[in-house]
Formats: sequence, structure tokens, C-alpha cells
Amino acid sequence: MNDGALSIHWAPAAIWVAVTVLFGSVLSQRTASVSRPMLLALWATATAALFATRADVAYLATAASTAILAQSTRAISRMGGTMLWVAAIATGVTALLLSRPEMATLAWAVSLLAIALRAGLAGLHPPVVALCRQATLHQVLQSASLLVLVFVHLRFADHIPQAQDAAPALVRLGAASALLFGLLAIAQRNLHDFLESSTLMHGGLLFAAVSAAGRGHHTAAVFVSLTMTLALGGLILMILALQQRVTDTALTAPRGLGRPLPRLAAGFSFFAAAGVGMPGTAGFIADDLLLHALWGESVAAMIAVTLASALLAVATLRAIASAFFGKPATVVAPDLLPGERRAVAAIVLLLLFIGLLPAVLTSATIALFGVQ
Amino acid sequence: MTDPGVVALVLTIVAPLLTSIAAGMIVLLRDKWPAESTISRVIGAGLLLSFAGSIGVAVSHFGWLGPRLREDISFGNWVSIGSYEIPAVLHIDHVSVAFSLLGATLTALVSRFSITYLHKEAGFARFFLMLGVFGAGTQLIAFAGALDLFFAGWEAVGISSALFIGFFHERPQPVRSAIRAFTTYRFCDVAFLIAIVATHELINSTRLTDLHQLAALAPLQVGLVASLLLIAAFGKSAQLPFSGWLVRAMEGPTPSSALFYGGVSIHAGLYLLLRTSPVLGAAPLVAWGGAAVGLLTAAYASAVARTHTDAKGALAHATLAQTGLILAEICLGLTTLALVHLVCHALLRAWQYLRAPNAIHDAHYFGHAHIESPPSPPRARVGPGMYLRLLHRFRLDDGLDVLVRAVSASAYSVQRLHTRFVAWWGVSA
Repeated sequence: MNDGALSIHWAPAAIWVAVTVLFGSVLSQRTASVSRPMLLALWATATAALFATRADVAYLATAASTAILAQSTRAISRMGGTMLWVAAIATGVTALLLSRPEMATLAWAVSLLAIALRAGLAGLHPPVVALCRQATLHQVLQSASLLVLVFVHLRFADHIPQAQDAAPALVRLGAASALLFGLLAIAQRNLHDFLESSTLMHGGLLFAAVSAAGRGHHTAAVFVSLTMTLALGGLILMILALQQRVTDTALTAPRGLGRPLPRLAAGFSFFAAAGVGMPGTAGFIADDLLLHALWGESVAAMIAVTLASALLAVATLRAIASAFFGKPATVVAPDLLPGERRAVAAIVLLLLFIGLLPAVLTSATIALFGVQ
Repeated sequence: MTDPGVVALVLTIVAPLLTSIAAGMIVLLRDKWPAESTISRVIGAGLLLSFAGSIGVAVSHFGWLGPRLREDISFGNWVSIGSYEIPAVLHIDHVSVAFSLLGATLTALVSRFSITYLHKEAGFARFFLMLGVFGAGTQLIAFAGALDLFFAGWEAVGISSALFIGFFHERPQPVRSAIRAFTTYRFCDVAFLIAIVATHELINSTRLTDLHQLAALAPLQVGLVASLLLIAAFGKSAQLPFSGWLVRAMEGPTPSSALFYGGVSIHAGLYLLLRTSPVLGAAPLVAWGGAAVGLLTAAYASAVARTHTDAKGALAHATLAQTGLILAEICLGLTTLALVHLVCHALLRAWQYLRAPNAIHDAHYFGHAHIESPPSPPRARVGPGMYLRLLHRFRLDDGLDVLVRAVSASAYSVQRLHTRFVAWWGVSA
């Protein structure tokens, strides 16, 4: 279908499937903070943004999606909501700027700023911290919505010479941010804090990947953002499920929750491992493509990202050990409920499918972006 | 028509992977927790298929039932983006066939052994799920025709290895040991990853059959890649200075100790060096360094083993001594000898580890009455200072602990800054 404003391509379709699965998974969380109409509106605007063939339409739809999310979030997290409003305005401004060819550089810069803000690049990260702490479920939606913004950015705003010139410096910035938060993850003694540092570390990777896309590495950026969205989305759902069952998420001593909640432990471990590049999952391909992309821009950045990933992996095993290992705890609440299990299975299968058959997505992104 | 040898090849890797995914989905989606027999049958079927596939590949490779299956078998590209590609290529030669048969046989045997050994154990399903992942990883390592694929198998083996060490997680020590082993793995994997990316950028390929092209590069470049590969192998095969994790790894259940630290996993680093021997051949100085480390490890482990009174600890050091010798053989270019040594050592050690609990039991109940004690090896006299050093394994772990403490201290400094910065922005805890 191609009516001038909307079209069906495989690359946006793949992203759309991921976004839809995540939104569906959020529905499995019985919570009042996310209403069905809001979720439907978010999904509809995200769909429009993904399939739009005109830059201004895509950016306006993304801005609308971000604004809906911002409005819903502000009641729970003032700072998180404000950040999303700023990002929504920046995205809207990008839509306007892109309609004037001489403003393309500014449009790219504003769009990249919105991504940096939402990814939680070091220095701009407190709002993402606020979201992780105060509106954790909204962070899943913000992450899915960020995936849409990244895709729209790569498709419409990234093809300018200035993006190429700035790539090495921006890549270093993203890698430094990832290393900083990878190190931070080692010191965490609470599941929420672990999630926070993990999200920020992935944010650094995402920023580095999007910056490297300026030199044509679009596929790496798509894989990194997709992995971040799915793996962290799954991880957040598991942490929330755990919190609903045991309230306290401290990791100061082994909690022994693996025995009473084995499926939850398995889900948590899988998503955490996918986030640090477990082979067979999308994370492995994302890491591989990112390192290749970074080598061309900055070898130091590539080494920093590899170290950051190793640090996060160690922090991840420590978090798993603290939460689920140890003498079996007594938990009255049941393990994952059928709806939650189906949501977990859907995200797991999607991560495995993309990880085992990455060509499905790589060929689609190459067909769309037409570079590298 | 598809060559049966190729079908067998695919089956060897894919069967354990798919059955692990299937078993995982059964655990996740069924309301009732699956019975031990369900899990062991599903995973066991995958491992058995893998074993049959491995035999099929061997039969095809030696040309016993038709045309010979050898060299690179290409399935296109796993990932292909412009000039960058991860080829889905499997490499068949006598080295890969030997390692595959070794891995498939031991994994299938240990799987059968574990059905009885771990009966009614709380982590039965977890053990078998990880065994399936390990089986797939081992076969991918065995047949990988490119470094990227090798790394995928390498990581699968590493993750399952760490989780096996922490299997009895009710006690704190196995958990600490698992984290220590995983930390060592990951930091040595950093070296492997950098080596892979560097190789790709330097010769535009990571195929094993193209690695000889590295010899044409500047000595510094090829030396760097060889050093990185050696570091990766040192970590996985517990060579000095990374030997500390192996003794700690004995906290895992006996079947996994047999499979990982007697049979397959401990030899994975050595197998990497066997596969990348052209790189070592092109960097003689680095190869000599590797041989020296291997011999040092062998000497260190032999000396320390003499002060150990526990069965698994002594076995761990005996394993270490032999892997050190194999490393030296590879680095000196004696690859055929190293392969024979590796396979024989893996089979012997796996048997010894599996036999260890019974041997201890027999010793407790029957003393040494039922077996003829072997003559004691001649013992060198050492002073009390040296004895203490040997007993404490030369405090090798303390050196690495300094590094771990430095990283932790940096992490806590970053956390303090982060807390202040976030609070300054007005974000409450």
C-alpha cells in the first residue's frame, strides 16, 4: 500500500511488531496507571509514525505519541513527564524544521537531542532516573516510543553530511556514557537501581549507535534500539511482577526468590542476559554490529563499549544471584500468572527470532535505508 | 537433494538448541510444573540427536558412506550488511570432528548420568535446560567456520558454565564462585571480541580459512591479535594468572564438573588456539610467551596439587597441569599431538570427575582395602614457607582481588557522584 502518506515496508513492520508486543505486554500488568485508551492512542500514533513516508508526518505522529505519554506520565513523575514534554516539543519542532531543506542540520541536531534526552545520556540522565524510580511501567512505554523516534530519525533526519562529520565525537560521548553507567551498575544494591543503571548504560549504547548511523551504520542502530526496548521492557515487567509479589527489591543479601518464583526468575534472567548480548538473542547481533560500527569511528569507543558490556554482564549476574539465589524464601504470592507468562513468552520468542534469524531484519533495513 | 552429511551437521548444532527452547516454553507456558521425565526426555532427545548428528558428520567426513564432507560448508550469511558479514559457515576437518564427537558423547553421557544423580533435586529443570544450551554451544564451537560463530558458542558455554557453578545456590560459596568465574570469563571475552573485530577490519574476514592472511600484516598487528586470542584462551582454560576460578568451580554438581572442567569447557580455550593456530604461527614471540605460560601453569598446578587433600581440588589442579602442557604444545606448533592429548585428557578427566563421589564413598566405607594403592610419587622436600605458599596457591587470587577491589571502588565513587547529581536535579530516591 502506498497512498503518498503511508506505506508498508518490512523494516517498520518489524519495529511495529516489537512495539505492539510490548504494548500488549504492558496490558498484562493489571495496573491503573496505564489506561487502555491511552495505550491505544499511543499504539495508533506510533503506527502512523512508523509507516509514514513523509518526514513531517512521521515526526508529528512521533511528537503526538510522546505528548500522550508525557501527559500520562506527569501525574506520576513530574520530572519524567516534563522531560517527555520537552522531547515531544523537540520532535514537533523537528517536523517543522524538516519541511525547510536549509534547516536540515538543525532538524537533525534537535532530533538527536530528543534522543539523547530520552535515552538518558550522561549529564541529561536524571529524568530517565526519575522515570525508572517513579513511573517504572511508563519507562517500558517510553522505551518503545523511543524506538519509534530512533527509527524515524534514522529514516528522515540522518542523511546529512554534518551527521557524518560529527559521528566520531558523538560516538565517543555515547561510549563514555555507557562505560560510566556500566561501572555504576556494579555498585547497585537494589533491583530498581540496577534497572536504572542498566537502562542508562543501554542509553549510552543507543546514542553511540545512532551517532554511528551518520556514517551509514543504520542496521546497528536499529538492532541496538530494538534490543534495548525488548530486553529492558521484559526486564522491567519482571521487576514489577516481583515487586507486586514481595514489595522489597533490595539486593543486599541473597533473597532466595528463585525457588518460590521459578518462572519469574527464568524470565528475569533471560531478559537480563539478552540485554548483555547472550548468543541466540537479538542482543548478540546488536553488540556485534555496534562494535563493528564503532571500530570505524573510534577504536577507544569500541573498547569502552566492550568493557561497559562486560561490567553490566557481571552486575547482571550479581543481581540475579542476589534476587533469586540463596536459601528459599517463603512467598505467599503465586509465580507468574498465565497472562504474564504469555507476555513473557511473546517477548522471549521475538528476541530469539531476531537473534537467530537476523537476516529478516537486516535485509529489511538495508532495503529501506539503501546504505551499507 | 540435500547431502545427509550436511543434514547431520545442522542437526548436531540445532537439535539441542531447539529442544532447549521447547523445554523452556513448556516450563513457561504450562500451568503445572513439568515432571523431571518430561524435561529430561525433551533435552535428552536433542542431545541424542546431536550425538547421532556428530557421528553422521564423522562418517561423512571420512567418506565411509559416500562423498567426503570437508572444509567449509557455507549456508550463506548469518548477517550481511554491505561489506560486513558474519558468514554462516561451518568448517569440517579432523580437528572439528574430533572435538564435536568428544563434546556430543560426553554431553549425552552426562545427561543420562544426571537423570539419576540429580533425581528430585530442586534445580533439575534448570540443569537440563542449561545442558541443552551448553550442548548447542559446544557443537557451534566445534564446527564454527568463522570467529563470530565461534564466539556465539563460546558465550553459550560461558553462561551455562557460570550458572552450573552456582547450581547449589542455597550456600553462599557456590554463588561467589560462579560470579568469580563469570567475571574472569567476561573480561577475557573482551579480548576475544576485540580480536574478532580487529581481524575483520584488518583482513575483511573472520573465516578460519582466511586467518593465514594475518601473516601478511605488520608484526605488531598480528602480534596484537594473537595476544588477544591468547588472553581469551587463558581465561577459558584457566591458565595463569586466571587459574583461581577453576578450583572454585568445583562447587558445582559432579556431572557438570565432569563435563565442564574435566571434559569440554576447560579445553575450549585450547581448541580456540588450535583453530587459530595460523595466527600464533605468524606471531612467534607471542607463541613462545604462550608456551611459557602453559609450562608455568603446569609447574604451578603440579606443585599445588601435592598439598591438596580433597579429591576435586586435586583433580582440578591435575586438570590444570595437563591443560598447561597442551597449551605449550599448541604454542610450539605441535597441533596434532595437542589434539590427541586434549581428547585423551578430556575423556580421562571426565571419567575421574564422575567417579569422584563414588571413590570418596568407597574410601570412607572400605578404606583402601579393595583397591591396590598406586605407588606414591617421589616427594620433593619443601620448607614450611613454600608449603604454605603452595597451600594458599601462591595467593594468586589476591592479586586479582586487588583489581576487582579497584573496579568496585571506582563503581562506588561513580555511584556517590551519581546520587549527588540526581539529588541536585531534585529526583527523590
